[in-house]
Amino acid sequence: MAETAIALPPPLVPLPLIEGSQDDGTLNKTLNAYVWQPPQRGWLALFLIGLAGTGVLFSGITITVAKGIGMWGNNIPVGWAFGIINFVWWIGIGHAGTLISAILLLFQQKWRTSINRFAEAMTLFAVMQAGLFPILHTGRPWFAVYWLFPYPSTNSIWPQFKRPLMWDVFAVSTYFITSLLFWYLGLIPDLASLRDSSSSKRARIAYGIFALGWRGSARHWHHYKIAYLLLAGLATPLVLSVHTIVSWDFALSILPGWHTTIFPPYFVAGAVFSGFAMVMTLMIPARRYMKLKHVITARHLESMAKVMLLTGLIVFYGYLMEHFAAWYSGNVYEEHVFFSTRPRGPYAWAYFTQMFCNVVVPQMFWTRWARRNIWTLWIGSVLVNVGMWFERFNIVVTSLHQDFIPSNWAMYYPTWVDFSLLFGTICFFGTLFLVFLKFIPAVATSEVKELNHELHEGAGMSELEGARP
Amino acid sequence: MPSLKSLPIAGQQKLWRSLDEHAAAPPPSRELGPAAPPGDATSRRSVLQLLGASAALASFGGCLKPPDEKILPYTRQPPEVTPGNPLHYATAAVIDGRATGLLVTANEGRPTKIEGNPDHPSSRGAVGPLEQAELLRFYDPQRLKVVQHLGQPSAWRDFLRATANKARALRDTRGAGLRFLMEPSSSPLVGELRRRLAAAYPQAKFSSWTAIPLQQIHDGAQLAYGAAYEIRLDLSRARVVLSLDSDLLAAMPGTLPAMRDWAEKRDPANGKFARLYAVETNLTVTGMNADHRLRLKPTHVHRFGLALLGRLGALVPALARYAPLQQRFPLPPESAKFADAVAKDLVAAGRGALVSVGPRQPPVLHAAAHAINAALGSACAAAARPVLHDTDAGPRTLDQLAEEMRGGKVDTLVITAWNPVYGAPADLNFGKALSQVQYSVYRSLYLDETADRASWVIPALHPLESWGDARAHDGTITFIQPLISPLYAGASEVETLAAFLGEGDRTPYTQLRAFWQSQRPDDFAFNWEKWLADGFIAGTATPPETPAIRHDQILSAAMKVAPADTGAGLEINIVPDYRVWDGRFANVSWLQELPDPVTKVTWENAALLAPGTARKLGLRQGDRVDLGLRGPPAHATVVIAPGHAEDAITASLGYGRRGAGEALCRDLGFDTSTLRHTDVPWFSPGLTVAPVGKRARLAQTQEHHSMEGRLIAATTTVEKLKETGEELAESRGALLTAYPGQNYPGYRWGMAIDLSRCTGCSSCMVACVAENNIPMVGKEQVALSREMHWLRVDRYFIGDDTGNPGVVVQPLMCVHCEYAPCEYVCPVNATVHSDEGLNEMIYNRCVGTRYCSNNCPYKVRRFNFFSYTSDYTNTEKMAFNPDVTVRARGVMEKCTYCVQRIERARIDTRLQERRIRDGEVLTACQQACPSGAIVFGDLNDPNAKVRRLHDEERRYDLLHELGTRPRTAYLARVTNPNPELA
Repeated sequence: MAETAIALPPPLVPLPLIEGSQDDGTLNKTLNAYVWQPPQRGWLALFLIGLAGTGVLFSGITITVAKGIGMWGNNIPVGWAFGIINFVWWIGIGHAGTLISAILLLFQQKWRTSINRFAEAMTLFAVMQAGLFPILHTGRPWFAVYWLFPYPSTNSIWPQFKRPLMWDVFAVSTYFITSLLFWYLGLIPDLASLRDSSSSKRARIAYGIFALGWRGSARHWHHYKIAYLLLAGLATPLVLSVHTIVSWDFALSILPGWHTTIFPPYFVAGAVFSGFAMVMTLMIPARRYMKLKHVITARHLESMAKVMLLTGLIVFYGYLMEHFAAWYSGNVYEEHVFFSTRPRGPYAWAYFTQMFCNVVVPQMFWTRWARRNIWTLWIGSVLVNVGMWFERFNIVVTSLHQDFIPSNWAMYYPTWVDFSLLFGTICFFGTLFLVFLKFIPAVATSEVKELNHELHEGAGMSELEGARP
Repeated sequence: MPSLKSLPIAGQQKLWRSLDEHAAAPPPSRELGPAAPPGDATSRRSVLQLLGASAALASFGGCLKPPDEKILPYTRQPPEVTPGNPLHYATAAVIDGRATGLLVTANEGRPTKIEGNPDHPSSRGAVGPLEQAELLRFYDPQRLKVVQHLGQPSAWRDFLRATANKARALRDTRGAGLRFLMEPSSSPLVGELRRRLAAAYPQAKFSSWTAIPLQQIHDGAQLAYGAAYEIRLDLSRARVVLSLDSDLLAAMPGTLPAMRDWAEKRDPANGKFARLYAVETNLTVTGMNADHRLRLKPTHVHRFGLALLGRLGALVPALARYAPLQQRFPLPPESAKFADAVAKDLVAAGRGALVSVGPRQPPVLHAAAHAINAALGSACAAAARPVLHDTDAGPRTLDQLAEEMRGGKVDTLVITAWNPVYGAPADLNFGKALSQVQYSVYRSLYLDETADRASWVIPALHPLESWGDARAHDGTITFIQPLISPLYAGASEVETLAAFLGEGDRTPYTQLRAFWQSQRPDDFAFNWEKWLADGFIAGTATPPETPAIRHDQILSAAMKVAPADTGAGLEINIVPDYRVWDGRFANVSWLQELPDPVTKVTWENAALLAPGTARKLGLRQGDRVDLGLRGPPAHATVVIAPGHAEDAITASLGYGRRGAGEALCRDLGFDTSTLRHTDVPWFSPGLTVAPVGKRARLAQTQEHHSMEGRLIAATTTVEKLKETGEELAESRGALLTAYPGQNYPGYRWGMAIDLSRCTGCSSCMVACVAENNIPMVGKEQVALSREMHWLRVDRYFIGDDTGNPGVVVQPLMCVHCEYAPCEYVCPVNATVHSDEGLNEMIYNRCVGTRYCSNNCPYKVRRFNFFSYTSDYTNTEKMAFNPDVTVRARGVMEKCTYCVQRIERARIDTRLQERRIRDGEVLTACQQACPSGAIVFGDLNDPNAKVRRLHDEERRYDLLHELGTRPRTAYLARVTNPNPELA
């Protein structure tokens, strides 16, 4: 038996999760090193670009609030456009974090350890971007800010609980709070470690406050582990619920192209798809410049590529089913959307961009070469993000611009404010991310150390097992 | 405190108590007007000089007590004004000399809504878009506010002084060199003033001018009868109507009663179904409603008519002498087949036959139509004496006048006609001729192209602020009474003319009353009140006559028409504009933003051409082209117009304006005057088209013209009515559902729209705008599909022939679904259902997520993308209906079924402890509709008209399969095609 095991062809041998021989000391040093270094020039340059882009975002917001939604390209019939597309896109991106943190934790996938911090931070920042849009896209955001919440007002008007966007408010805010707690809880041992290794008093006080008095005692670890597992359990249903509810924003309408029962699973799969793509997009340069290749190895990237391939196939199935259901229903309005408007209408280029990026591109991850090549991974992940944006464009704009009564059909053209908001949120997101990289270990040091121990123990065990007669 | 420097030291005669009083402007007087131009801003107080039924008018400054000029409300009202309750006054709008009786609503002394006078023969309760838009024209902040002399602000009394001097000199020369260029007028008072002026100045001459004259109608009658007549249409007796370029079903001056009569003939419930043939160049509203339509190049229309007369010669003994015309005017096969079928049908219809000819056609065609109608004994066309003083008001007269002006024979010219410098054909060069007149007076609402060249410009009083009279299209004497004291220091036409009689101090009211007292002295005081309250004198229509037809003259004139085709070249076709008429309404945003009923283009005119011609010329929609006809080119934008004749380009009047004072319409579209010539003002061959290689973005409210095979605007024929009814049974009523239905025990409001009656004239859209304070958003916003009209009129092309498609129109506003998709998607409960079934919109609660619009399958909701009303001036704000909220930015809005009218009726009837009766609540669109296509009422009332229509076999629900249960039902359009032409 042992001989057969040795004779296994190399592809089935998993790549290492941690490269080289590491111990707590080297891990501590390499993983936290970036925090103590003075800002590098590249970081500064990116940070300034990010800040400038954030300025563009806030200019866009200001002009929207000051002048009105008319500054966007929206019209009647296309009542929703970039605002909602961006919202769904960012929420989708925000899905990878919880999935990696919670679901993979529950499934005991060891490869999550090096990337969960990264993914969770990305989730938080993405949800922050997403959170801007539901308020901003309303005609009167100064009322929408609080009228969407149920509170006992003097004129006893409550929000409309039948409406999915109402549920969105709860779903997204719950998701944000849970993700924040989960992320912060995971951070505590690392913050304590930073506090202990800090050389300046200021840093010690600052990290000390956030470390909440963590001393690493067995009692602390015991409570910590329970809390972490509980939060993981709490966050798991949220992975499914948030994007399900976002999909209901569309699915509960009567509009052809929106009114589809396949939306919840298809949206969740799409969200995970785009979330992993965004993690990949950010992680590939970060691991290089932050010298984290030994803990974020090709194994991690390959696993993520596999998840992308899987979720990409689910999304593709969703596309096929939408078209099949439209044909099978015999409903002229459905048929018009899926067989005329999308593939042959004026926005056909968006449809084919979506199909190419989301369906064709991930197929390359069937090959090991593409899964292990940094460039194919990175370009593939960027294209998936583009494709997922266009998927939402097709759902929102293409469905709306030609619906039931042909007389009201009209084209939608985005304005510079629309683009500034999309570009601005990307910059704002990037800025927050850079700040995160600078001040907090991008890799969960304590968890990697733990994994390192586990792996060595595991290696020992397998050696023992192998030695067993 | 004024500085002491400004005080004259010597020659002081005036008594003053303070320096302020001394320096203040002298108080204005009603007779002489303010000495100095008043400020731009008109305060609410200054216009709230309530006229109403109360006796005394507020005095203007204590200098002179204004004369007591009582206006009288239409229906008897309590003697005092109750704030919040509107009053209605009968008055009239006069366009090209013909009056349409109106009923104007006044709220606290300001006119807010124009509706038709139900008793007036030219209105019968209906009203067209132009008449309704008079309201906004009245409140237009760009109106001329002060008298101008040589470009400088002046005063009415300066004008009077100058005119008095001038008049003295003119009297000595017996009026030589004095010319009046007037708006075509039917006003008896103006007629009287003209007589008196002619007596005072025997050598003075009067002429009339309008860009859209009826002169060829009169010339045609001259040819046929030997005297000027015009035709009174009576479509109530019509069975087969042939329109030769006659747009009798568009809500234009004089057509409103025809539309109502025709609608009755197109309702299958009324028995005998009439048939309409249209022969025309561009698709018109009438053409959209025709059962058969032949599209011809403009110069072929009258040849077709003469060929038809030739064919009838073979069928009708009385027309036998015209038989040779059939050979003289050979028709291509398609036209020949059409003519044969029409000829047979007309003969079969006998007294129900009518051939109607449009005013643009040459006199010989009018004469031919008289011959046909007379020979068939048509009961639909009666000849009657023209109501206008001048039967000739076209380029011919203007040419003579311009000739005199150029020859230096005109020394004083008084223009009360609308803007001849802009409207005259370019080859007349009227503007230059006007500059040569030493003393010219122009009375105008705006500083327009003519005002630019006149030495005196007098601000015109709008009909809503002045007294007057006019005749209706049938001659009925109609009164114009002011709803409000003048906003600006203007003068009426009567005052301007009276200035030359030395009667500048007599008000138009005095003139009018004195004139009518002299005309009808019996029981005058009582009658006067009745006339003003009613708005007209009943029984004063000019009686129809039966003059003898002069067949020989008609035949010889017809034989003189060249039979030959004028060649294959392009022809220009100039038409009046549905929105701005000849351009006088160009500064009214309600009309600029009203989509053209046919092309759905807003805010400009365009070069319309057939798809085939466009292909041939290599032009696409939106291409910029230069159109030329014996003169400088006009820069136009191409619109591909299915249904247009090949090898012709249509352009409408009224655009390309350059007046200094009309900022709203300046430089929109293009001016057609260079394409019009004195000899051929309407159509002509020899047009050249040159693409300039640029493109323009049009603001079209409908860009997709096919129904995509969906059941949207249902259409059927008389024969298939039964089958269609059975098919439509699947598209009405409740869908199978597990939910318990909602009960509506009280009122159950609903609407029915009869597509068979609707002509697409779009009058309802203007009524809706006026009633519901709907903001106009401008060309750019319309191009972005952000127009705010709650009610739109969709126009679809049907059939396979893109060259000459069938057309169906469909008014569409919120259908008030019982299961409304908009309601459950609103997160803040801003759109909810009432217990009477109205889908209500609570503006205050709306945060503007726009999901309701996304989920509305009819897309009838409108969103305030910007604050569209924030730039309204105080004057414009006076046009607002106080019963309807003005919406803020970021708020969704839509049709409410005129809920404010329902509530008003509810208040009235609750006091009387009874239910609201059928017909007591009319929605604004229903009230304006000339053809009665829109009916609103209580579906729980078994006798309500709307209930009966909901039970008709033609009824269907739009997008029925969605299960929205709309409260607005549609009735399928029914056409009556001739089997011979099928």
